[in-house]
Amino acid sequence: MKFNATQCKLWLSYYVPSLFFLHVLLIIPAGAIAQQKTIIGKVIDAVAKTPLLGVTVKLEDKNGTTITTDKQGGFILENGTIGQSLTFSFVGYSSQTIKIDSRTSYTIALVAVSNMIEETVVVGYGRQKKRNLTGAIVSVGAAEIEKTTLQDPISILQGRAAGVQVSSNSGAPGGEMSIRVRGSSSLNSGNNPLFVVDGIPLESNSISSLNGTENSGLNPMADINPSDIASIEILKDAASTAIYGSRAANGVVMITTKRGAAGKPEVILNANAGVSSLTRKLSVLNARQYREAVLDSYRGMTIPEDPFYTIIDSLNPMNNGDVDWQDELMRTAKQYKLDLSVRGGNEGTKYAWSSSYLDQDGVILNSNYKRFTSRLNVDFTISDRVRIGQSISYTNAVNNRTNAAGSGNLSIIRSLLIRPPNMSMYLPDGSLNGYMIGQRNPVGMALFSTNLNKSNRIIGSQYLEIDIYKDLKFRNNVNLDYISMKEDEFMPSILDYREGYNSGAVRSSGNLTWGNESYFTYTKNVADKHHIGAVLGMSFQKWRYDRTGLNGEYFPSDDIRTLNGASVISNQGVNVASEHAMLSYFGRVTYDYEGKYLLEFNLRTDGSSRFGRERRFGFFPSASAGWRFVEEESIKNLGWLSDGKLRFSLGSTGNEAIGDYTSRGEFTLGTNYLDFSGAAPTVMPNPSLTWENTHQYNLGLELGFFNNRILFSTDAYLKKTKDLLYNVPTPGTSGFEFITQNIGSIENRGLEFSLQTRNLEGAFRWNTNVNISLNRNKVTSLPKNLLTNGHIQNGNFHILKEGLPIGVFYGWSFLGVYARDEDNTNKLTNGANGAVFVGGDPIWKDVNNDKIIDQNDREIIGYAEPKYFGGISNDFSYKNFHLNVFFQYAVGNQIYNELNHQRNSIVRYNNLSTDALNRWREQGDQTDFPRLIRDDPKQSDSRVQSRWVEDGSYLKLKNVNLRYSFDSAWSKRIGLRKLDAFVTATNLVTWTKYTGFDPDVNSYSGLRVGLDEGSYPQSRTFTFGLIFGL
Amino acid sequence: MKKLFKYTFLSILFLSVTSCSNSLLDKEPISNFSGEGYYKKPSDAQAGVNGIYNGLQALFRQNYAYWGEGRADNVVTRHAADPAALQQNTLTPIINSARWDNFYTVISRANYAIKYIPQAFGAEDSELKKQLLGQAHALRALAYFYLVRIWGEVPLVIEPYEGLGQELFVQKNTEAEVLAKVEEDLMLATENCAANYSGAGNRVLITKGAAYAFLTQLYMWQKKYARAIEMSEKVLEDPQYTLVSIEDWNNIFVKGSSAESIFEVGYNEVQTNNLRIWYAMGSDSDYVPSTSFIASIEPGDLRKPRIYDVSQVQPRKIWKFFGQGFNDESPEPSSGNIVLTRVADIVLLKAEAHAHLNQTVEALDLLNSIRIRAGLSALDQNNASIQFGSLLTGILHERSIELCFEGHRWFDLVRTGTAISIMKPINGLSDNRNLLWPIHEGELLKNPNLKQNEFYR
Repeated sequence: MKFNATQCKLWLSYYVPSLFFLHVLLIIPAGAIAQQKTIIGKVIDAVAKTPLLGVTVKLEDKNGTTITTDKQGGFILENGTIGQSLTFSFVGYSSQTIKIDSRTSYTIALVAVSNMIEETVVVGYGRQKKRNLTGAIVSVGAAEIEKTTLQDPISILQGRAAGVQVSSNSGAPGGEMSIRVRGSSSLNSGNNPLFVVDGIPLESNSISSLNGTENSGLNPMADINPSDIASIEILKDAASTAIYGSRAANGVVMITTKRGAAGKPEVILNANAGVSSLTRKLSVLNARQYREAVLDSYRGMTIPEDPFYTIIDSLNPMNNGDVDWQDELMRTAKQYKLDLSVRGGNEGTKYAWSSSYLDQDGVILNSNYKRFTSRLNVDFTISDRVRIGQSISYTNAVNNRTNAAGSGNLSIIRSLLIRPPNMSMYLPDGSLNGYMIGQRNPVGMALFSTNLNKSNRIIGSQYLEIDIYKDLKFRNNVNLDYISMKEDEFMPSILDYREGYNSGAVRSSGNLTWGNESYFTYTKNVADKHHIGAVLGMSFQKWRYDRTGLNGEYFPSDDIRTLNGASVISNQGVNVASEHAMLSYFGRVTYDYEGKYLLEFNLRTDGSSRFGRERRFGFFPSASAGWRFVEEESIKNLGWLSDGKLRFSLGSTGNEAIGDYTSRGEFTLGTNYLDFSGAAPTVMPNPSLTWENTHQYNLGLELGFFNNRILFSTDAYLKKTKDLLYNVPTPGTSGFEFITQNIGSIENRGLEFSLQTRNLEGAFRWNTNVNISLNRNKVTSLPKNLLTNGHIQNGNFHILKEGLPIGVFYGWSFLGVYARDEDNTNKLTNGANGAVFVGGDPIWKDVNNDKIIDQNDREIIGYAEPKYFGGISNDFSYKNFHLNVFFQYAVGNQIYNELNHQRNSIVRYNNLSTDALNRWREQGDQTDFPRLIRDDPKQSDSRVQSRWVEDGSYLKLKNVNLRYSFDSAWSKRIGLRKLDAFVTATNLVTWTKYTGFDPDVNSYSGLRVGLDEGSYPQSRTFTFGLIFGL
Repeated sequence: MKKLFKYTFLSILFLSVTSCSNSLLDKEPISNFSGEGYYKKPSDAQAGVNGIYNGLQALFRQNYAYWGEGRADNVVTRHAADPAALQQNTLTPIINSARWDNFYTVISRANYAIKYIPQAFGAEDSELKKQLLGQAHALRALAYFYLVRIWGEVPLVIEPYEGLGQELFVQKNTEAEVLAKVEEDLMLATENCAANYSGAGNRVLITKGAAYAFLTQLYMWQKKYARAIEMSEKVLEDPQYTLVSIEDWNNIFVKGSSAESIFEVGYNEVQTNNLRIWYAMGSDSDYVPSTSFIASIEPGDLRKPRIYDVSQVQPRKIWKFFGQGFNDESPEPSSGNIVLTRVADIVLLKAEAHAHLNQTVEALDLLNSIRIRAGLSALDQNNASIQFGSLLTGILHERSIELCFEGHRWFDLVRTGTAISIMKPINGLSDNRNLLWPIHEGELLKNPNLKQNEFYR
């Protein structure tokens, strides 16, 4: 009898014991045998041993047969064939694949995800196993993201990642967010982390140049649809960020989008709709109270004056209204979102295709954000050694913005609160009362002014990956990020005091980032004990920004808003461009011994065109070590300790975010005189200008208890930044305001804790994630010649001072109000030889006890930095129900409520808050609200003062998500693989003492932290949605 | 092994795409010029000089009335900060008008222009080159002239700053040194500037006439009366400078570029100034006419209803710069030009110079030309003495009315030595050293070699 090899193995396959089964299977040609059998199985939790209901069991056959487990965790599969694979997947658990063998009954134990220290995370130029990490990296996965209905990746990070502080500059749809990783480490060069999406460093600063009167720009990261995101990793310490060198001092946020996997196409459709409303309305005086208050303010004027006609003439139809401007302007806003994705592929080609549409109204009339996103990620295996792939996404966004913030009568929010309630909405002829005594009608502003932003963005990358030889791989990426933005602005004549005066502007901007990077990756295992890895590469990146625009005035009609209609094209036309380039080399070596002792070294050198020729290239090295002590024999046997790792890192990173040409000096065009175009020297050259340098040290400890039912991790860090880029003021006699120099230093130190626990297992499951971050920021040195009284004034409200953090409020301490003239026992005066403070005036703290209240009596009146902040997330699931309750908090921070100043002081004829009802009126009144006085020579209200500093601590029920997953048996009946229904509430409740709209506020994204000048308010949103799976 | 080479080769090929030389990191500015290489062509020189005028706009935008009127007797204020400090003579080193940065911005731009205009024109010796150099010198002189009048001794910087190598911490020069440079620069301007520039630019650019007018002002400040008369004659004999009729008097300011104007700083809807905020922002402007000023207007003066809102008992609106009946509550800035010197100014300065030289006839002639336009009777020496005490006082009074709120009053008081006698009863001004402004605190902090003016130490 003569067998050929195949026959022989075929024969053997029937008889050899199952021990050899796997080996044989690999060689048997598929389809050589086709014996079908019925398989019975049960799926349980690996730790709790409890049955799991609703686990997806997928058979890899032609039909892609899919079933789900019943209440006992059981399943029956009738058409299984030996050799086919079965994949078990379930939310919160890692999937598991087995091959069908001769057995007919199986028990599958699935491991909950939090046990998965074996899972990998994204790092710069690669992936690493979590267990082998020696740096401080925090990861937020798709499972977390899916519990929210937030529309951009930054707001998702709020409270979900230790060490990451996120705050809102504006509650407007698509509005700007502030994100700080381990505090602020720069004074002038931006504190935003570097964003890297699928390996592409993205533009994350707003390029919008027409923000109306908004202080804040837009959030460019909102161009990424959160539904496309598989994970977000935040690289925090130098060990993990140094490979991004001169852009990494503020941390790196790595966003990875979902890619396809081999298998039957998975179609998911998520349709949701929601309503939002203002979280809090602020109380203002009504018309009667307002008139009384303003009349009061005329008493005690230095030069007496008759009350203005709008106050006394209550019969005039222009001033006899009683309008609640908040009610008129705010609305219940609707939003819709549709997400469609298809993912699948085979061994050669894998794809992930998705598309989404969002239509979101803001709570202020007429504000709206529409976003269409589309993405295609494909991977091709073209030979056993070569793979290529592409990711491309396109986003179209149209943001109908609101002039919410800003100063003067152009800010809707301010106008809304201080506009007199008696000013009528309409003129007697029925038309809108658009402009009256210096006040623009906020409703008119919202309805009739234009502030439209339209952007198109393409983010794309292509890669080529070659397995050169055994463990050596080569990869090349070509990246592109292009934003094209068009903005229109128009202020109609109905809102202006000048007859027929209207104005418009148009801008079109482009921002191109192009990059090409190549690197080799090498991995080697020696005797299964020494694991060596290395990366070596280079990259070149180029940026170009350009902007073109025109301003026009005197359009014949408010209806024609394009610039062709303007009768005057003002000479403020712009057409500017700037470029910058960076050339880099980088490398990494990792080594571990038996997964027990871990070492890693990184190095990057960056050369940037922004820096002076004399100091163009910089080195950014880092080193780190880890000890997985849980692997030590003596500890391994401790039953209760299931994981343990100690790690340490140190290294240096940089910040190169300064003007593209600052080092070379600049002659600026556009310094025109009338219609004659002009040019003037505006920047003094400094050829030795270079990046800011941050040294960071990090010590981390990770522990797991009771089979990782409790996972704890903590990090302590020290971040020292020197060579801060600072515009050092030069004497005025130089003709320049400043020269940019590397000077000054700053320090951040902090602690981060995170705890993940699985409190209850079984049918009713309860998991908790808690994180707490503490950051202490300190300015350690400032240029001496910049100091005035030992500090630098930073805007109106803040100072910078050595030994103090960024975000210190500085002004006069308000101690109360003199009830009577004689209560001013020390006869304090307003300035030397000034008037004596009398009853009704504020009591100012006389800091230097000279009985004179002047500049020298200012002191520190508050700190914007929170003592600690973080989030608490609880997940409950029972049968088909899943509930996520997420709290976010900040404790110990103070807010300078400038908005409260605006609405508690009488400037001309503005309205006041109801606090003014407690105002001082006559001798003997005990109150903390001073008398109202016009043109107050003592400047009681306009001083920067502790009266407006408030406790900004808060606890916010940020997100509640309740999801019901229909039984697969039921959903199958209507032809669906899966059907989920959910309700989400965002910003449900906020517990705070803060009296403004919301304590999560930051009017400026820069150094002037903790200032509330009245931003677009936050809203509370309820969303209902359905998720269909095909 | 063949495959290994193939793939290695492929990798290196890709790597070479990314390899680029260091020169890729040399990025020249696209939309602005790098400081080192701006002045290349005549058009660059033209734009550079326009940039100096742009600095002049910024210079006078906010503080013009504070410097020229705020400390004098024609205005009162109820506003805090600068207006209050100036009126009550409680000047401190932190008030805004104590800042001189904007003057030195003008000077820096002029220094760049003066140094590099010759390079931009190369060997070419054109009329344009002369005109541009003339204007740059005149603008630098104008800035220094104001600096000396406001702060006294100031640092004289005549070279542009082009890097960290130069001395940033400069010291003060004497008034005489600075004014000598002013004189030299203005003389150079009289030789180089055009007699007029065709079109709308004529009154808003420095002409020969404007340079002569500023020289007149300079010599009057220095009490060189014969030289002042000489310079003023150069202006007044130029037919493009004439007194306008009283009906057009407001239009000197409202419309600008009148026949009476010699030099005015141009502004427009976008490049605005604070004229309205100083004088006519509804009922809430910085300044209103003082009671003593109102009382000093002679009966029958046709200018009176053109100067302020006479319908109010407590006038709150100055109409001079905006036209009779102007009423606007909005706090927006103004687009009107600021007239620095005009024919009436030069006429009255010349009259004053003649009076000092006891050339009474000439002085009275000039004085009366202004009075007659205002509908007032002509004076002879006798009734000038009866009405005003002396001819010189009469001329000073005429300047106070004719040029009211135009930024001359305070410098007139200082120049004629009458500041203390007039202001003492109002705000207690009593020290000659107090006539100067303090140097802003910020400037002293930035420059350790600078000493505060004596009175304010």
